[in-house]
Amino acid sequence: MALVVCMLLAGCVRNDPLDWPAREPGSRRGGVLRLAGPDDVPTLDPALGYDSRSWTYEQHLFETMVTYDDANQIVPQLAERWTISADLRTYTFALIPGVTFSDGTPLTAEDAVGSLERVLDPKTRSQGAEHYRGIRGAAEFAAGTTPHVAGLSAPDATTFTIELDEPDHLFLDKMALMFAAVVPAERARALGDDFTDHPLGSGPFMLREWRRGERIVLARNPRYRRPDRPYLDGIVESAGVNGELAWLMFLSKELDVSGIPPADFPLVMRDPAATGTLVKGPTLVTSYLGLNCQMPPLDDRRVRQALNYAVNKQDVIALLNGRGIPAKSLVPPGMPGYTNDLAGYPFDPERARALLREAGQGDGFTTELWTQGSDLDLKIGQKVQHDLGEVGVTLEIKQVAWSAFLEAIRQPKTVPVFDLAWSADFPDPSNFLETLFQSSRADANNHTFYASPAFDRLLARASDTADPEARNTVYREAERLLVDDAPVIFLYHPISYVMLHPRVHGYTIHALLPSRYTDVWLDPEPASPR
Amino acid sequence: MRSGLLRAGVVMGFFLVVLAIVGPTLAPFDPTAPVSPHLAEPTSPGAPFYLGTDDLGRDVLSRLLYGARISLLVGLVAMVVTMAIGTTIGLAAGYFGGVVDTVLMRFTDVMLAFPGLLLAVALVAVMRPSVWTIFIVIGLVSWTGVARVVRSEALSLRERDFVIAARAMGATHGRIVFRHILPNVVPTLIVIAALSTSGTILLDAGLSFLGIGVPPPTPTWGRMIQEASTYYRVAPWLMAFPGLAVLYAVLAFNLIAYGLTGEGRGVR
Amino acid sequence: MRYLAQRLAWAAVILLGTTAITFAILFVVPGDPARVVAGPRADAATLATIRHELGLDRSLPVQYGQYLWRLSHGDLGRSYATRQPVATTLVRRLPATAALASAGLAIAVLIGLVGALVTAPLAGTWLDRAILVASLALLSAPVFWLGMMGLYWIGFRWRLVPLGGAGSLRHLILPALVLGLGTGVYYARLLHTNLQEVLALDYIRAARARGVAPLRLVGVHALRNAGLPLLTVIGLDFASLMNGVVLTETVFHWPGLGRLAFDAVLALDVPMIMGTVLLSAGLVVVTNLAVDVLYRLVDPRIRLE
Repeated sequence: MALVVCMLLAGCVRNDPLDWPAREPGSRRGGVLRLAGPDDVPTLDPALGYDSRSWTYEQHLFETMVTYDDANQIVPQLAERWTISADLRTYTFALIPGVTFSDGTPLTAEDAVGSLERVLDPKTRSQGAEHYRGIRGAAEFAAGTTPHVAGLSAPDATTFTIELDEPDHLFLDKMALMFAAVVPAERARALGDDFTDHPLGSGPFMLREWRRGERIVLARNPRYRRPDRPYLDGIVESAGVNGELAWLMFLSKELDVSGIPPADFPLVMRDPAATGTLVKGPTLVTSYLGLNCQMPPLDDRRVRQALNYAVNKQDVIALLNGRGIPAKSLVPPGMPGYTNDLAGYPFDPERARALLREAGQGDGFTTELWTQGSDLDLKIGQKVQHDLGEVGVTLEIKQVAWSAFLEAIRQPKTVPVFDLAWSADFPDPSNFLETLFQSSRADANNHTFYASPAFDRLLARASDTADPEARNTVYREAERLLVDDAPVIFLYHPISYVMLHPRVHGYTIHALLPSRYTDVWLDPEPASPR
Repeated sequence: MRSGLLRAGVVMGFFLVVLAIVGPTLAPFDPTAPVSPHLAEPTSPGAPFYLGTDDLGRDVLSRLLYGARISLLVGLVAMVVTMAIGTTIGLAAGYFGGVVDTVLMRFTDVMLAFPGLLLAVALVAVMRPSVWTIFIVIGLVSWTGVARVVRSEALSLRERDFVIAARAMGATHGRIVFRHILPNVVPTLIVIAALSTSGTILLDAGLSFLGIGVPPPTPTWGRMIQEASTYYRVAPWLMAFPGLAVLYAVLAFNLIAYGLTGEGRGVR
Repeated sequence: MRYLAQRLAWAAVILLGTTAITFAILFVVPGDPARVVAGPRADAATLATIRHELGLDRSLPVQYGQYLWRLSHGDLGRSYATRQPVATTLVRRLPATAALASAGLAIAVLIGLVGALVTAPLAGTWLDRAILVASLALLSAPVFWLGMMGLYWIGFRWRLVPLGGAGSLRHLILPALVLGLGTGVYYARLLHTNLQEVLALDYIRAARARGVAPLRLVGVHALRNAGLPLLTVIGLDFASLMNGVVLTETVFHWPGLGRLAFDAVLALDVPMIMGTVLLSAGLVVVTNLAVDVLYRLVDPRIRLE
């Protein structure tokens, strides 16, 4: 009877405090990082997540063959070394021996094969499948005619080989995407859609608890291959805390990390140190307004240039509390091995009017901005609306739900102007230039329907160039052409600002990836009980 | 006492109508132009911006004055749509009775069971977001209460002597409905119309607050509250004024309705 | 009993009607659910695969038929967005909304009863009139605006309640108050008027003549009769309460069904939308049914026919 009561109590009292191992005084190890997010983490399944919130947690639970260091250079992770054949078609990874998943089962090259097969399997409905379709036999596997992908093999437990149909200078970068993370293949297959609730990986942390709508808790993985990491005992993220609330919780020392709400930003920036440790960093993101190059009068380059001159980007950035830099071109500054010194389109309404007159649009015209309508989108939209009004262009704002937005921008001659931001998948200019503007990508991400044979030729030449420096030179030439053709209104590259509790150390903002907590450590707490 | 409420409501409503007509000419600034040099930092009330400026540097007073027109317009037109749908269905169900009544009232029940706001969100997604969409969507979402009241009135009128007499004399259904039933429902309809107007103004504000109302740059009170919500701790006046404006407009029509009946029972 | 069976049958028809209408609307909405699953970056091939896997390439009647078939087996499907079973998500979110709605309703009824009893003896005085105008003003304020003003004053300036989120009773106070306030003053006025009418009736006069204490007179004898119409109104109000819930949950970041449903509509997460609409419509239907039955129990003059 007593036992029954205990069990009942255990079942009812769910808000138990989590117990963490006692910390050794004076050491850097230990402590729990307290975070908050507006919603639940969308997924913990690396085959599915394609957003920074999911990746934040996936990258702590799972590992990929290779990853990026803080300078966005590829460095080993699960693979201790790799070889790429001269024709750029065969990639062979040598896995670190003895790595196990956090439950102790060994991680083998077979798991690596199975993980990629899972991404390519239509049943998984992975958003990342497209990155791996270049693997030999991927199409047959997806069609169901072969049980395995011919180009994936595991000759022994620590050797993982991938053969491609065509050379792909980005393939190593694709192996750094979370989609390519190694999961226990059999278990993941068996769990299907439920793998996200029982994720198992080899990363520095493991899932301790995930109560949707409440909190997600990661604990240190005791079997992590690097015994000196992570420093933290765990990470707790409370769900359902919007930015505003997170900031107030941060101020009352209930959180270790928080963004700064727009309303508070000007005040905080007068003396950031009074609030905490301010960390900021650039992102490989470009925010722009796409212009449909097939829809008159936007099919006229001069009109598109005019719109670019008409928008005051400094004002737009002022609306972001200055948290951005004006975009002069498409590829964000800070892209490794790549710089472009284009002048872009400074604010010049006179020039805009002149160009419109030249294009026969001196009396102005009416067009439509489609936006999915977050607060900030609408604010910027209304600012742009006003700026364009000054040069005689009437911009109507059409606010549509995200689902309808995504569908509409894909239709030819439907959406004249749309607001979008692109963040880099890979630290390579092609991920902006080719992905967004190659004429053959009109059914994927070329929503402006920009089609320039000269530009396409340069892209083709670049991807045939093996030497990275020479390749970047060609990309620079292509981008000059693109900026001149102005298929978008270039707006800004955001800058991330994060406020940290003074006890937090080792927190960095990564331009490409969500922040990593493996190297984060906390000041030892005073002896008082928590 | 009731006439006092009615008088107050009519005066407030009249003032609102005047404001909606001449308001834009009174506005000191262009409601869509950034007139304050400060972006992303709302300025507090004080000359020349008597109610302050918002984060886009626009004059709140000018936006409020322009917003009066659109809010009143949405309230009244959407009310007419609501009344038209509700009265038609209510009259048909009440007058014809039987199967027609059953089918129409069950349909009304289905619509009543629907979460109205969600229905509105979905409908706005189907149609283009514009003032016209808002008129129709609000009408489609809020007619059920009207239909119920009109139906019960028609149901009792149907059994009255003068209707039975008209029917015995061979009058057509159309003639009976329009000559005998409808005129007798009018007093009730006036009350419902006043209540319905206040309801539609509130619903419009709610839709704007959820970000699916009349699209910008048209300044609507609901959207002003929504845009101000980011700044509620730093610049509380930004949301206070448009909220008071909504309250004023809705109160005017509620006073009229309550003044007419004492209590606006049945419909809210 | 027959009456109850008949009402239950109608309830089922109403629920079926809501599913049909929702399904029809969702397929007129521009936008492709597969696109939401695939995310902004997927190419056409990925999209086609996903569309096929979700069965979205079949005709509307077939999809609806399949939905009903699964529904009849108690399967609400899985969310397109989170891939969680819809039923699990609803069950997880229901308590927050149930707490908010029932606390809101309780506050409304409380305000209604207390307000009516307090104002009953004041009938006809200037104070009563002032209270009436104040009540009307409260009724006229947008729920979300009241919420924001409450957040500013009660939460931020006076630090009496947390500024949003859920978790404790203190979190619940402000949202429930905001949700119930407008409805409460409405109930108070309704009850007030009914009380005046009932107090003028013969049996009350008789009771008064017998020397029944005034408080007992109003509180027990009169209220019992005056309260009856209120019951109907509460039943009818439940649907509009759900509207208030969506707005209140938005203002207070309350992790309930209202926000879930709203976000699902925006994301065109069809199974989730169907689930929330069914649940919400079900609640409305059940409440109305319960009120109806209760009404007939309280007032023996109405027979369950």
